[in-house]
Amino acid sequence: MVTFIIRRLIASVFLLIIVAMITFAIFFLLPRLAGQTTYALATQYVGRNPTHAAVLAVEQQLGLNRPLYLQFGSFLKAIVVGRHFTAGPQTVYCPPPCFGYSFKSQLPVWPQMVSDIPVTLSLAIGAAVIWLVSGVSIGVLSALKRGTVFDRAAMGVALAGVSLPIFFTGLVLLELFVYRWNLLPAPTFVPFTQNPFQWAQNLILPWITLAFLYAALYARLTRAGMLETMNEDYIRTARAKGLPERTVISKHGLRAALTPVVTIFGMDLGLLLGGAVITEYTFGLHGLGLFTIEAVQSQDLPEILGVTLLAAFFIVIANLFVDVLYAYIDPRVRH
Amino acid sequence: MAGGEAPREEGRPDRRFAGLRARGRAPAGQTADQAPAESAPTAVLDIRDLHIHFPTDDGLVKAVDGVSFALERGRTLGIVGESGSGKSVTSLGILGLYNRGNSQISGKIYLDGEDLVAADQSRVRELRGNKIAMIFQDPLSSLHPYYTVGNQIAEAYLIHNKVGKKAARAHAADLLKRVGIPHAETRVDDYPHQFSGGMRQRAMIAMALSCDPELLIADEPTTALDVTVQAQILDLISDLQEEYHSAVIMITHDLGVVAELADDILVMYAGRMAEYGSGQDVFGSPGHPYTWGLLGSMPRLDRPRMDRLQSIRGTPPSLIHVPSGCPFHPRCDYAARNNGRCEREVPELRPVSLGHEVSCHLSIDEQRRIWAERDKVAS
Amino acid sequence: MRRRKSLWLGAIASIAALGLAACGGSSTTPTPTTAGFNAASTAVVNSSTHVGGTITYNDTTWPDSLDAGNTYYAHMWNFTRLYASPLMTYASCVGTCGLKLIPALATAPGVPSNGDKTWTYTIKSGMKFSDGTPITSADVKYAVMRTFAKDVLVNGPSYFISLLAGNAATYKGPYKMKGVDLTSIQTPNSTTVVFQLNKPFADFNYIAAIPQTAPVPQSKDTGASYQLHFVSSGPYMLQSATLNKQWVLVKNPNWNPAMDPAVHQYAAKIIVNVNPNANDIDNRLIAGDINMDIAGTGVQSAARARILTNASLKASSDDPITGFMFFIYQNTQVAPLTNVHCRMAIEFAANKTTLLDAFGGPYQGTTASTAMPPNIVGWQHFDLYNAASHPTGDITSAKQQLSLCGQPHGFTTGIAYRSDRPRDVAMAQALQAALAPVGIKLTLHGFPSGSYYSNFAGVPTYMKTHGLGLATGGWGADWPDAWGWFDQIANGNAIASAGNTNISMLNDPVVNDALAKMQAPGQSQAQLNVIAQQINMQVMKDAAIVPVVYAKALLYRSPALTNVMVQPYYGMYNYGTLGSK
Repeated sequence: MVTFIIRRLIASVFLLIIVAMITFAIFFLLPRLAGQTTYALATQYVGRNPTHAAVLAVEQQLGLNRPLYLQFGSFLKAIVVGRHFTAGPQTVYCPPPCFGYSFKSQLPVWPQMVSDIPVTLSLAIGAAVIWLVSGVSIGVLSALKRGTVFDRAAMGVALAGVSLPIFFTGLVLLELFVYRWNLLPAPTFVPFTQNPFQWAQNLILPWITLAFLYAALYARLTRAGMLETMNEDYIRTARAKGLPERTVISKHGLRAALTPVVTIFGMDLGLLLGGAVITEYTFGLHGLGLFTIEAVQSQDLPEILGVTLLAAFFIVIANLFVDVLYAYIDPRVRH
Repeated sequence: MAGGEAPREEGRPDRRFAGLRARGRAPAGQTADQAPAESAPTAVLDIRDLHIHFPTDDGLVKAVDGVSFALERGRTLGIVGESGSGKSVTSLGILGLYNRGNSQISGKIYLDGEDLVAADQSRVRELRGNKIAMIFQDPLSSLHPYYTVGNQIAEAYLIHNKVGKKAARAHAADLLKRVGIPHAETRVDDYPHQFSGGMRQRAMIAMALSCDPELLIADEPTTALDVTVQAQILDLISDLQEEYHSAVIMITHDLGVVAELADDILVMYAGRMAEYGSGQDVFGSPGHPYTWGLLGSMPRLDRPRMDRLQSIRGTPPSLIHVPSGCPFHPRCDYAARNNGRCEREVPELRPVSLGHEVSCHLSIDEQRRIWAERDKVAS
Repeated sequence: MRRRKSLWLGAIASIAALGLAACGGSSTTPTPTTAGFNAASTAVVNSSTHVGGTITYNDTTWPDSLDAGNTYYAHMWNFTRLYASPLMTYASCVGTCGLKLIPALATAPGVPSNGDKTWTYTIKSGMKFSDGTPITSADVKYAVMRTFAKDVLVNGPSYFISLLAGNAATYKGPYKMKGVDLTSIQTPNSTTVVFQLNKPFADFNYIAAIPQTAPVPQSKDTGASYQLHFVSSGPYMLQSATLNKQWVLVKNPNWNPAMDPAVHQYAAKIIVNVNPNANDIDNRLIAGDINMDIAGTGVQSAARARILTNASLKASSDDPITGFMFFIYQNTQVAPLTNVHCRMAIEFAANKTTLLDAFGGPYQGTTASTAMPPNIVGWQHFDLYNAASHPTGDITSAKQQLSLCGQPHGFTTGIAYRSDRPRDVAMAQALQAALAPVGIKLTLHGFPSGSYYSNFAGVPTYMKTHGLGLATGGWGADWPDAWGWFDQIANGNAIASAGNTNISMLNDPVVNDALAKMQAPGQSQAQLNVIAQQINMQVMKDAAIVPVVYAKALLYRSPALTNVMVQPYYGMYNYGTLGSK
């Protein structure tokens, strides 16, 4: 198991380097193929009505006219050993992991991402807990009560959850709970370390919005998995041994039904950790999703690279975690 | 072990006919309830007029339609029939694994005098895996792939006995040793996929025996195994039966297996009993045309080799639209002899000799004559 | 059967949710004081000297910079006065009064000499920064010097770089040229600042009002990161700044009200939160959870509908002219628009009604017929192309002009616009539809707004090569006189090879000379007004632009705020006077 994890981690490092290379290439090469010069690129970072000298100065400051391989090399090097940067009277040391300085603000990228990570993390993990618990339990109950009113109602609500866009659900919740009934404050992010109660209070609506969609998916997934599993021969054996039905369901049925859920959960959580864009936007929470959007809109390469790698990293870790968990759940995979 | 010869406990009277006498002969149309007062059941398992029907969107599936027999400790009953004859449904019915919500069960299943049909679900669950145990056909799919074999064996033991986990694990290792798995102490922590096919079936048998059951039901225990392994498993079952003195129901479509092990044989067709008797009777002088067909379609070593096997023409009937009268009549070569009676009238199960019953409209003489011809032709 | 039932349940759930959301009107929003619609444009609403409380702003994005010397947005030039006092500022009063300059850090407007090439300012003595250190002329000089570091402080305007004499042409800022003096600015003593210009510039006081003249202590300057811990010279100082999230201002204990009479220290705390969802900002504003949308460009269309249809909400809103104009440049170098009559044909044929609709209707702007907005000093109305008499277009006159330019059956040309701005898209389409009946076919070319000026519309060679004769644009003046308005969009000398804003490529000596004359010394205000109108008229005679609207913005006035007034130069509420109830 340990060698397995180490091998995967090493492979992940290579994967991340390749992701960075591709991002770099897309950023620079595609516009270059369309005929854009680095001078034209630099004009985007210079504010309104720039003078020629200003554009040249910025082009130089941001290193845009250096050969691509050198820029990429500096980028990788900065992540590992840090970098010295001058954007004022002093030269400042940016310690590793240094993702460079934003083209737009010439402020270090890493601290900006770090301040956004707790928002996205809180949002994703809180919603994940809610959707796992509710989705899986509803799915299990639906499977066990297949065909009953509960089952049909649950799957009907699940259909709504899957079909309703996040911004719609979010807006309805905001309108009702915040603006109309004044039950909750308009959401802002309060760090958990500052005030856990307010942290949860502000996040409850985004959690529900995000979880509604995923819970619906997971309810349907779990239900299908449970139905399939409960038809398996080993369930019949378990019953034939005289085990109480709840043991048959929980010990024998659930563990097998949950393996596809675990796999999908890893992917979903991994993607979500890179930024739940629509939810963040709807509730005005500045997390990695919004950071990404802003970075792309302002064509800020260091920020784009930073957030892309971070998102890729989360996905890699999430998948690794899921694979390990899967091996733990299903012993057949280990041998 | 020679077929048909069951070892008898000393001092115990031959109880094979006790069930027959107790049942009496209800005229056609009357249920067992309306028959003259029943005598108390004395065998380990005593089934009286069991019906298991499933209402479905397409109609009522009569999976088991009037099955009765008795079985005592230490004896083996072989239930034989094609797929869809109702053999597995009968055994699952005995275990009480059918949901009252979606099935109609009537009749009586007496286990040691206690009626399981009338009993509480929780009482039946207590007995399941405990006094009655079952071995299933495919051990790879019937064992949970995520738990160790030891865990699954100990599970049954823990549920029915107040013991600690260590004791249960030790017991599981013991059982594995008893069923002939080498290195039982370490193998107890292995997963089902780490066993070979034969070893897995042994493990399943160990699991069934964990609570020392009075009745063991084996549903096609060798069908998924190699021929060489089959023999080992059958030997094992019979050894264990001797040792634990349990009653065994062996369900199979393979007459060779039945010939090996069964004291008594029940031939089922379309959910009904076609023929019932001792191994000697059923193999030596079978009375039902279906049984003749089964025997005729079996390759035999004690006969000269034939060019073709005689198969039974036609296909098994739908259990929703069971043919009228005798359910076998569409496939029977002799139905024409009875002037349509086979089509109209359901034949009753009647004794053709002591302890040997057949449900067919052919007279006993006709049956004997026809069988003698068929047997001669075959040899 | 089962499936259909599930679908029904899903449908019912959705319809129920839709129904809830569709129910307009709010039962729990606070009832605003009914000072009346547009009250703040003509008077101060909720006048009060009450001290204390918190004002909460929302911003859809972190500004280009909090650093007063490095920002170029109208709302930031408004807001930075709370912590950065420039030499001059705009008076805090309504109407044309608010277009006038008054001294802030300076004791009086600059004294010109040397034919308006030298400007001398005296700053108030005894003033202190928020950290207690005294403010001297050297700090004002340094503030200007650092704006020369265009590689680091990229955002602010470049007027000082282009106007200062001395070694300004080669000076690269104090970071790259440590210890080098900028000889164009002299500080003979601690309260005197002297600017030496390379040409006469009568408007220099406007330049002195730019936030770049707010003092910065050199010892505390850290370049690009200064915005996160700047030293304040205004009524408020920075308590905390979390990039992309929030910044908080608290009272500056060392503030002396004499430093800037246009701003006040009423509220105890000012919080600005970043909320990228503009519609949510409007909801919070109306619900009373926040007090102000810092952008000052008006509410989004959903809130607009809500406010305009609710009497009490409407009574708490203002719809001022913002000082921005939206128009369509006509590229005088792309045939056949090289001929003025072809351009005039487009002027006549343009459908002002549909263009106004495209822009969002009467609360978003009023139909324009001149080349500069009404809040520019010296503006007078005129209408060369019958916008008033033929609001849907004067087809007859258009056809006449087409014959005159030799294209009686019309012609084809391209129009550039910003594809991610819905109003730009609608404007381009409206014009396309309006010109079709006279045979002028427009092909639509959309470009991303981030690179519109830098790579496409603002690159003359690109426009010419791709046959783009028209381009949508918007403009706001850096200061409210005709020079501030026209120089960068109509001066032939301002044409740049990239980032060009004279997209019409207008190089009319009449206009160029008039602009130069405005900066010549010794003009009276009356004379300047005449020149302003001349330039305005000439640009329209040249048909260099097709005016669309003088922009307006529907602003919501939070009832929790005191001293609310529309400042006409910024075209939004005056952030310097606000207090909290």
